[in-house]
Amino acid sequence: MNSSVFTSRRLISPEQMLGSRWWWGPGLAVAALIGAASLFADPYLAYVASSWIIFGLLGLSLDLVWGRSGILSLGQTAFYGIGGYLGGIAAINLSELAGGTLVWSLPVGALAGALFAALVGGLIFYSRIGTLQATVLTYALTLVLWTAAVSFKITIGDAVVGGDNGLSDIPGFVSFTGEVMDPKGTFIVVLTVATVVLMLVQALLRTPFGTILSCIRMNPTKAELLGYDIRYYQLAVFSLSGAIAGLAGALYGSWSNYLSPSIFSPQEALLVPIYVLVGGRGTLIGPFVGAVVVGGLSFWLGGGVIGGQTTLIMGLGLIVLVLFLKRGILGTIMDVIATGQGSIRLNRTGGSVDDHASSLKIDLAQLRGLVGRRGANQPSLRSEGAVKRFGGVTPVKNISQSFSLGRVHCLIGPNGAGKSSFLRCCTGFYRLNSGSVFYGKEEITRWPMFKRARAGIGIKTQAAQVFDEFDVYTNLWIAAYRHHGNAAEAHIHSEQMLRMLGLMAKAGKPASELSHGEQQWLDIGMVLCTAPSVLLLDEPAAGMTGEETRHLSLLVRILAQEVVVVVVEHDMEFIRTLDAEVTVLHQGAVFAQGSIDDLRKDERILDIYLGRREHVRDL
Amino acid sequence: MFEICEATGGYRKTVIVRDVSLTVAEGEIVALLGRNGVGKTTLLKYAMGLTANFGGRVILGGASLAADRAKRAKAGLGYVPQGRFVFPRLTVVENIASAAVACGHNHRDAVKRILSEFPALQEKAHALAGTLSGGQQQLVALGRALATQPKLLILDEPTEGVQPSIIDELAGTLLRLNRQEGLSILVAEQDLDFCLSISQRAYIMDRGTVVKEATKDVLLADNHLLQNLLAV
Amino acid sequence: MTLDYIAIAILSSLSTASILLIATLGLAIVFGLMGVINLAHGEMIMFGAYAALLSTRLGVPFPLAVLLATGATALFGAVVEILIIRRLYGRMLDTMLATWGLSLALYQSAVLAFGSVTPGIGMPQMTVRIGQYGVSAYMVFLIFVAVSCVAGLFWLLTRTGYGIMARAAIADAETASAIGIESSRMNTVTFALGAGLAGFAGAILLPVFPATPSMGFALAIKAFLAVVVAGPLPLSGTVTAIGTLGTAGGITSSIWSTAAGDLFFFGTTILILRLWPNGISSLWRYKL
Repeated sequence: MNSSVFTSRRLISPEQMLGSRWWWGPGLAVAALIGAASLFADPYLAYVASSWIIFGLLGLSLDLVWGRSGILSLGQTAFYGIGGYLGGIAAINLSELAGGTLVWSLPVGALAGALFAALVGGLIFYSRIGTLQATVLTYALTLVLWTAAVSFKITIGDAVVGGDNGLSDIPGFVSFTGEVMDPKGTFIVVLTVATVVLMLVQALLRTPFGTILSCIRMNPTKAELLGYDIRYYQLAVFSLSGAIAGLAGALYGSWSNYLSPSIFSPQEALLVPIYVLVGGRGTLIGPFVGAVVVGGLSFWLGGGVIGGQTTLIMGLGLIVLVLFLKRGILGTIMDVIATGQGSIRLNRTGGSVDDHASSLKIDLAQLRGLVGRRGANQPSLRSEGAVKRFGGVTPVKNISQSFSLGRVHCLIGPNGAGKSSFLRCCTGFYRLNSGSVFYGKEEITRWPMFKRARAGIGIKTQAAQVFDEFDVYTNLWIAAYRHHGNAAEAHIHSEQMLRMLGLMAKAGKPASELSHGEQQWLDIGMVLCTAPSVLLLDEPAAGMTGEETRHLSLLVRILAQEVVVVVVEHDMEFIRTLDAEVTVLHQGAVFAQGSIDDLRKDERILDIYLGRREHVRDL
Repeated sequence: MFEICEATGGYRKTVIVRDVSLTVAEGEIVALLGRNGVGKTTLLKYAMGLTANFGGRVILGGASLAADRAKRAKAGLGYVPQGRFVFPRLTVVENIASAAVACGHNHRDAVKRILSEFPALQEKAHALAGTLSGGQQQLVALGRALATQPKLLILDEPTEGVQPSIIDELAGTLLRLNRQEGLSILVAEQDLDFCLSISQRAYIMDRGTVVKEATKDVLLADNHLLQNLLAV
Repeated sequence: MTLDYIAIAILSSLSTASILLIATLGLAIVFGLMGVINLAHGEMIMFGAYAALLSTRLGVPFPLAVLLATGATALFGAVVEILIIRRLYGRMLDTMLATWGLSLALYQSAVLAFGSVTPGIGMPQMTVRIGQYGVSAYMVFLIFVAVSCVAGLFWLLTRTGYGIMARAAIADAETASAIGIESSRMNTVTFALGAGLAGFAGAILLPVFPATPSMGFALAIKAFLAVVVAGPLPLSGTVTAIGTLGTAGGITSSIWSTAAGDLFFFGTTILILRLWPNGISSLWRYKL
């Protein structure tokens, strides 16, 4: 995707693990080792090891939503069980038609899991339910299915779902020639299916879709402010994870020939995050490592000794994992290796560890090509009687204000005048209590954030918002990609932006390692990459040096020729250089308007800034 | 009495205030002036132990204060945060009582004392603080800080979003507390008149450091200084 | 039929809702005052139930056994807070995972210690009669217990120093610390309170729900859903949520089956969350 310069880094994010390929080696080696051992030594081990791979696949379904997308689902076994039951029913009824059993059970299981997950996910994400609440819902769902499955009885064709008795006689792994496979064959089939799914998932996450998911995990608000409909992405990945879990369930049904309601039990469900945590969250291959390790341990150590205590040990194990082993086996190995590599690199480059202090070299000559007016119509942003209340406080009391093309617009006013709150009403972060907002001729009062961003309203919020774990290039690219919808064009756009910001040398640096001022510039660059028609800048000069402030002023003036620019600032010198139309807000309403020099002559404004009231002084 | 020595503080890795020192003498009211974003709030939070401490000390009554936030309040720093941050689902009385109890004082006495100090709150005594107006919330926040029986009161932008009549009441109350009970006060403000109506001495901040220390008379005389460092 | 039947139906659904309320309050308090969802809540109920059961077996009178169980579970909760919850401060999802692990560890411990079935202690044989219909006196007594619990908690959280400080700490931890409130201590007490309430529920419900290792799961499903629907206000929110969900679920399960009732309960939860994603009480202006 990119060829940016990689410099030393200290912490490896899941995305970076995915990018480097070395661990394919050990991963495959472990799989091959188990494969070889089971194939040549012990058919029973081959049989058992097949189940570990299936559990690994179930773990993968959780890692996809939790490790990569930040949604903790405790309901993966619900999709797993549903996929198993429905896949089993399909296999029982249809296998005689076409021989091979998995041809029927796997697609049906995956589809059932996906549809069910889509239903649950749709309700969670489109209602915008909180993350904590979503997790509780997924767990409650599992428990509800568990109780329901115990008494649920139905007969579909030859398949008999017998409540507590479960679903039996699920055909095993049968090849097209009608042969029932032996444990070794079963193992090979399971391993093949799991590998294909893993590779597909890895490939998918290397596409922009995967990058966007990671952005949503790091900062959902920023992702939406760039114009991404995060609900859609969350629903898509949740459904995909349901499909994988359903597929694993169908495999499991054929493997064990029998399913009981205990597949929905919390004891089963508990194992899924354990696989993920043991292996390493966000690594995708980690859950397989975790499942093999956990399965192997109970296989070789377990049996009679800990049989009855498995759940107890797993429960305590989960607590210990959460408290102490944050990065899992793969994550810990990665960290060790990264530290080693990092130090070698530093030695080679002569030990220049930290160049935070170096200032940016803004090249505004690059700017012209980057900003273009969208469409023919004149962009404008207008509010009418906007009111926003919180409890007894009303930060926006009544603001009717229009911003159109021409001079830069500045909003100033003492603290608490409602400047940032007003901008939030414009971007949709706040919903108005009354009044309306118009973009051009269209009323956008009820539009969600991403829709406004897509239409062309871009904001750099007061605190710079960047995707911490991604490098500088990717931060810009993800913004440009939303605008272009095309990786190649986004690449060109973001490279240009890198040159303009003078951040070329730091393109491969994680955004979290940038200085305060650099993050401000990066955020401004990201907003520009979305090619906004209306640009809102909330205290852009904060944390910038004098030199940087001068560049910023020039940048804003050039931009103002093409787009509507609204700047909230306290730095009066900066505002003066913008030659702006200044609006003074006071107590949530427009107090005065004019050029900065006019306003300076206005005693009333000095009064509100200095709080002058004759009677106070007499106390 | 109170001293901040060479304070360097900020958030996460970012330094916002650098090498700031200031003192407040026994029974003095000192103002901290400066435009938005120059680091006043961060400096006061530093004093309360609410920011990262990259260097420096806070001294109260001759003793260096521990890093623990709750201990600073108990040691005698009463804090009124910018934006008030009253507890919205606690009533006025409960807001006051929470602070008194936390610092080991009798909450009934505290409530009685504070309500008689702020008659405007009496009729709202059992209303949820979140439903009050900005000015009333400011009085609640001030009352809450006073309930800890502080040696030094630290106020951050007490006039923000407050109607003039209550600003007067605030100024009057602070002066009375200062004169009658000898309470020392450090107040960060943009509202110059409010500050000058109560304090004799001020520090002016710009870009994270104190750039000037001045008396009331100097400030009143120097319109140029005001324009450059404080206003439009 | 008619009046007698309606009266008895109301009484019995009130007592069903009361049972649910008693089982939910501890979870709601911990969520409302700490922002933590304790997935081991159900097993803490079980903990209390076994504690009360063992005490009565040793000859302790039932009322005293309830007190003992409450105290033991509260103590256990305090230990859990200090050993686990406190170390995961600010990591909500990890906190849930850890309490989930605890939940299953407790469940399995109970299986190992007591086997999967234990005899109940039997309900006191008294009946409240209305006309030709009757309902167990103990079920009616539980209505009184639920009301007392809510009233007692309201008193504790609005009239005591702990209660006021705990509510201040959840509203704004930073400001609370700046006026001298030590939130970590509040959290230990709050978690112990939540656990104690769970233990109390297990004990007081013992005549209705015999102690079994899996009783926690059965009781916890509805408690979790009720808390999510209730939102941030632990008393008014929870009472309303249980009033709505409990009635809907109760009617459904009396017409069809318990499982159908559970599914309906779940469905209603989702519908309510569509309208109020952060719970019905998220916009209310009450103390609790």
